[in-house]
Amino acid sequence: MIKEITNFEEFNAVANQGKVLVDVYSKTCGPCKMLGFVLADLEKDMPDAVILKVDFDRNKEIVEKYDVASYPTILLLQDGEEVKRLKGLQQKPVLKQLLEA
Amino acid sequence: MALYDVVIIGAGPAGMTAAIYAARANMSVLLLEKLAPGGQIINTHEIQNYTGVGTINGAELAYKMFEHTQELQVTFDYGTVKDIKEEGNIKIITCEEEKIFEAKTVILATGTIPRRLGVENEDRFAGENISWCAICDGAYYRDKDVVVIGGGNSAVEEAIYLASLANSVKVVTLFDLTADPVSCDELRALPNVTIYEFYNIEGFTGVEKLQGVRIKSTQTQEELELTCDGVFEYIGLKPSTEAFAALGILDEQGYIKVNSRMETSVAGIYGAGDVVTKELRQVVTACSDGAVAAQVASKYIKTI
Repeated sequence: MIKEITNFEEFNAVANQGKVLVDVYSKTCGPCKMLGFVLADLEKDMPDAVILKVDFDRNKEIVEKYDVASYPTILLLQDGEEVKRLKGLQQKPVLKQLLEA
Repeated sequence: MALYDVVIIGAGPAGMTAAIYAARANMSVLLLEKLAPGGQIINTHEIQNYTGVGTINGAELAYKMFEHTQELQVTFDYGTVKDIKEEGNIKIITCEEEKIFEAKTVILATGTIPRRLGVENEDRFAGENISWCAICDGAYYRDKDVVVIGGGNSAVEEAIYLASLANSVKVVTLFDLTADPVSCDELRALPNVTIYEFYNIEGFTGVEKLQGVRIKSTQTQEELELTCDGVFEYIGLKPSTEAFAALGILDEQGYIKVNSRMETSVAGIYGAGDVVTKELRQVVTACSDGAVAAQVASKYIKTI
């Protein structure tokens, strides 16, 4: 499931439960758009995985909480705690492995 | 295991055009990509010289090209190729993910990646406060101070873009600015831009976060430290051809040597796009290479 986050409350309601992949992106960034492509493909293989898309411009609290400085940044959260961070466009097999681990 | 007529490695403009031409020539096609469709164009904010398109965002053009391949039912898969071997007339393509594919022909369209400086602390701050993509990371430096390294077209264009966001932009280049004169004049006229010509980059400073760039004049030997919050490097590109070195098809710089039919010295293996030795690396020339390579490959498979 891919969900576009619009505010901090909505993020907290979903991000603090179990394993969650967060894509912090910028609308103007090409690699971010193509990561969207990879994530949409990943969703087909793993429909139950929770993937949150966070537009950095609309979600300052999330960007500050996790101190994200470059886009795209992928955060793997376990019950809200960051367990892994990847910067830049990522390979689909790498993301799949992250969610399966 | 399926035997493809052609496996295309790399899904940038060259690879995707090759896929379109190969599919239309009734070949069975596998398009392999390690990241996502697009290649270098996804880092380009606006492409303004692709005939008939006017101005288009790089990622948007990548999407359109990919959709075009999918209308023709081209098989797309993810894989990082580590080796190509020949068994008779068949090419065996092995990926790092342990996937193996077989093909009658292979088109190598792996493109280029940004060159790095290889100086002190570069690896440490890479991807955090050293970036290769102003449109990705520029927004973070709103009202902050940045350094742009390089003096070619990419460096100058990205410095102009960053100057519209950042408090100050310092451009450091080993020679003078070599970008097209109109862009150089535009950059020089900006009030918040300082240009340091004939300076070498000695290294990056900072403990937890990047603090500055150490530079040294090649003319006066003067050393300076430019304090900044972020650095953008644009010092050229290098070909992604490590996996093909054993085939003996590369030139001294690592680019793939091809003739006007995009043939390498190995029968059934072709090069296309930025990865081949050529004069002009543009979307339009990459597409042209891809079309030629696919057409020549389709003729070749009829002879084996």
